Amino acid sequence: MSLWVDQYRPRTLDSLHYHQGLSDRLKSLAASGDFPHMLFYGPSGAGKKTRISCTLRQLFGPGVEKLKIDQRVFLSPSKRKLEINIVQSNYHLEITPSEAGNYDRVVIQELLKEIAQTQQVDLSAKQRFKVVVINEADSLSRDAQAALRRTMEKYMSNMRIILCANSTSRLIAPIKSRCLLMRVAAPSVDEMNTVMQFVAKRAGFDLPPDAADKIVEDSGGNLRKAILVLEALKMQSPDLTGPLSIAKPDWEVYCHKVADLIVSEQSPARVMEVRAKFYELLSHCIPPTIILKTVAERVVERVDEALKADIIHWAALYEVRMRNGNKKIYHLEAWVVKVMSLYKQFFYNIDMSEFD
Amino acid sequence: MAPSGKPHSQTKRMQKKSSGSSARPTTVKLDGPSSSVPLHPKRLNPLTAFSNLTQPTLSPESSTSNLAPKSQKGKGKAKQRKNDSPVDNIDDSLWIDKYEPTTEGELAVHVKKVEDVRRWLSEAFDGGHAGKLQKYRRILAMTGPAGTGKTSTIRVLAREMGFEIMEWRNGTGETIPTPFVEPGPSSQRSGPDFDSGYEGLFTKFEAFMTRATTCHDIFSASSSTSKSTAKKRVILLEDLPNILHQKTQTQFHEALQSLVTSPPSNPPVPVIIIISDAGVRGEATDERRAEGGGWGNNQAQAMDIRTVLPKTLLGGPYVTEIQFNPIAPTLLKKALQAMLNTHFLSSFAISSIAPSKEVLDVIVESAHGDIRSAIMALQFACVMELPGPNKKKNQARSALILEAVTRREQSLALFHLLGKVMYNKRKDDPPNPSASAKDLQKERAIDALLKDATQLPPHLRHHDRRASRVDVDALYADSPIDSSLFSLYIHQNYTQFCNEIEETEGVADWLSWVDSSGGDAWYLANPHQFHLLTLGTLHSLPSPVPRRSQKYFKPEFFSFLQKEKDAWDSVRTTRDWITENEVKETGGFGWRVGGWSNNDVVLELSSILKASDAESRRHQPSQSQQQTFQPPPIHRLFSRMDLTRAMGNGIRAQQLNESDIGLDHEFESLVDGDRHLHNTSSQSNTKEGEDKGGWLESDDIEDF
Repeated sequence: MSLWVDQYRPRTLDSLHYHQGLSDRLKSLAASGDFPHMLFYGPSGAGKKTRISCTLRQLFGPGVEKLKIDQRVFLSPSKRKLEINIVQSNYHLEITPSEAGNYDRVVIQELLKEIAQTQQVDLSAKQRFKVVVINEADSLSRDAQAALRRTMEKYMSNMRIILCANSTSRLIAPIKSRCLLMRVAAPSVDEMNTVMQFVAKRAGFDLPPDAADKIVEDSGGNLRKAILVLEALKMQSPDLTGPLSIAKPDWEVYCHKVADLIVSEQSPARVMEVRAKFYELLSHCIPPTIILKTVAERVVERVDEALKADIIHWAALYEVRMRNGNKKIYHLEAWVVKVMSLYKQFFYNIDMSEFD
Repeated sequence: MAPSGKPHSQTKRMQKKSSGSSARPTTVKLDGPSSSVPLHPKRLNPLTAFSNLTQPTLSPESSTSNLAPKSQKGKGKAKQRKNDSPVDNIDDSLWIDKYEPTTEGELAVHVKKVEDVRRWLSEAFDGGHAGKLQKYRRILAMTGPAGTGKTSTIRVLAREMGFEIMEWRNGTGETIPTPFVEPGPSSQRSGPDFDSGYEGLFTKFEAFMTRATTCHDIFSASSSTSKSTAKKRVILLEDLPNILHQKTQTQFHEALQSLVTSPPSNPPVPVIIIISDAGVRGEATDERRAEGGGWGNNQAQAMDIRTVLPKTLLGGPYVTEIQFNPIAPTLLKKALQAMLNTHFLSSFAISSIAPSKEVLDVIVESAHGDIRSAIMALQFACVMELPGPNKKKNQARSALILEAVTRREQSLALFHLLGKVMYNKRKDDPPNPSASAKDLQKERAIDALLKDATQLPPHLRHHDRRASRVDVDALYADSPIDSSLFSLYIHQNYTQFCNEIEETEGVADWLSWVDSSGGDAWYLANPHQFHLLTLGTLHSLPSPVPRRSQKYFKPEFFSFLQKEKDAWDSVRTTRDWITENEVKETGGFGWRVGGWSNNDVVLELSSILKASDAESRRHQPSQSQQQTFQPPPIHRLFSRMDLTRAMGNGIRAQQLNESDIGLDHEFESLVDGDRHLHNTSSQSNTKEGEDKGGWLESDDIEDF
């Protein structure tokens, strides 16, 4: 049995529940025969990938849903083997180059060149081109993006690229200008409610509106998260009535705990405690940027107005450093120490002024 | 040997020579400036040949000393016998080979260690008291820094207990390893055999292992040794196959594994593996840098016991590890003294004079427990002579030169490196209460050399610091680790040295800055990382730092890295499980197989995974639940985080102790030293006080 998120996911542009305008436009684009490179962007859980696969189906028909997974081996310049999973059908191919880490450029180049140089052999195919879907395009390195840019121009005749990203800010301008930008916004509360009811109906139970509201509120616009939570709740208490307690994922609780630690005491010993927590989070594969973001948001909630801007400022600064650096823990910790120091000074100053 | 110290000493020597030039050896003439005779291919002694080469350059000086031979007459007479001896007479074999210990008494290794090894060997051969230990005495791993007498111990014990050592060597051309003790005719046979085709080095190694464990020496009956002793043999693996190569390492591990699992042969042939702890310098950072997505092969590049022996064996009963510590100075000095005595009793010694006590001290001190380097230095000291009118001054000078020559690259142990940085000593620091008078004097001497920094303008006043006693350049030169690893050590330990959060701020910021400076590739790396980091840390730490007998810890970073790697594996497994489910559901083809990214799995799936866990726990007894949702249990590696497990569960920072890098067991060596001092009180009684002063208390270790 697969997850509800996957099971009840709409498969055609027509069956999508929200962003009707976007669906119409995609449909006409697919019909026009002049399909551009595209960049889907928007927050996670908004339905980017769903829309991409629906568009593909619109382009190529149901055959595009016959997928197989290939594992391809690429050689990095230093002769290191990189194993990348590639999902493909006869008409398209989907990769997540960020799996290759710093060597994503190699993967992008090799793969795209190979695709671009082979003609579509299936004469019954609706389109003459193949589509390459690149997931997590915003984590592509600069090198890879530059490589992508040349390829996009050169092989336009028999290949289209669909990029999927959370935000466009990390993509270089030449790529953005070569793509048709499609913003997939997060669904509104009502839209989410509709989808939840739809899922409940398909799964064969009644979802009390209260419960739906609560789940939606908790999910923060992330529909995937909402449906997952719904399924988890259903698993725990089949009737979904009474007071619902939506358990936060462990990592989030943990991050909040870290924030509390920071605010409650500021000392070198506390730094060590926080470090241990950070290590624990990192070793559970939680992306460091997410850790920093979650902790910072929580800290900001709990401190005085005057400090909030500073705390976010330093979080931004150390996040940039984190991207450049290798050892994430340094930057997380440097931020914590900074915040602690700011916080302490702030209180120290208040006390002094009161004495005056 | 670095030539830096030589010209000076050789100059002096030549002066001396010319003063008694009547018996000048012929080789000198041949090399002289006016020589028209071609050099015949005579074997040159590198040490003396060098002195000849320097001769032409010092003609003015030598002429003046020629004019005044009388002033040095007294000394000249004393050295007369030296000048009589032709240069060729100097034995050119190295002392480490010539004076290799043959009995346990000559061994400078601590008695207890030798006893450990002997006991192990006897248990391996005879099975110990109960006679049943043979099974578990299969592999002995002798570890320790270079020059701590690991190999010598085995050789001495081989002689004493009468076993033969079969040593494996990575020959390039040889096909059959030669017996260790007597490279007899058997080694002659073993020239490259081109007809038999190429045999991989590792195949040879495996063949050697099987032959050495199972086959008996057919010549033993005919050889002079009696049958019973000839039977006892050990395999010595010192020159290991290239185990840094992943495949070879696996093969090697397999070979060892099969060796221990097979029943011991009769007679048992224990395997002894000698692993010299190489420094950690040259850590493969760019491999780690490539961590982005696939962590790369994260294996430590340094050779240590963990790479040599497979994990299963290390924890298992078949492997015993005996750690050798650096040789205690007292033992070292005693051994060197004994060596000198034998040397100067022998006939070879006429060409040189015995080095003074001070020189010996310098050698002992600079060797840092490495007896091999100490003997090398000693031999050099005996070749080099510094006669002159002022004996005291010369000795001081020779000590200075020796110090320059014998300084080893990795002389500064990690422990001390950290100490130097963390204690952040500055000019006019209040002295440590436990510091000895000698230390205090040393500190004062350093302070006298330090210049006070000019005062900064008011707006920078908060950056004012007293002059630091730490010489960053010297630290950099002596650092045994690269800056990336160094930063990890600093990161692990800096908080202990701060009282207030403001003080940690600087260090944390510097760590972050240094880590993010430079590029990803090795050639873009910031070359000043070490300096930036050290200076930044020194600048930020309070001065003087609080002292509360801080302990240094090894960075936890790597264990967490390992944990993270495992967790990523579990993420992938879980993701594969989702897609597999999907494919099954849709009958052969899944249309959403690429739908889940790793991050989605980590961040959003955990709620449902947790729920399903709880569910399955509740329904365990009654299997009634429709068999639906069974994620691979490995997902807990990333989805489950227990707050109750508090700090750094499972992974504890290991305390960094001195044995990791240099001196070990000061206490033991002190006790040990005392005992030996009593034995040899005639020579070293006077040095006792100094020894103790020189050997450090744990508290002021950073002075070292």
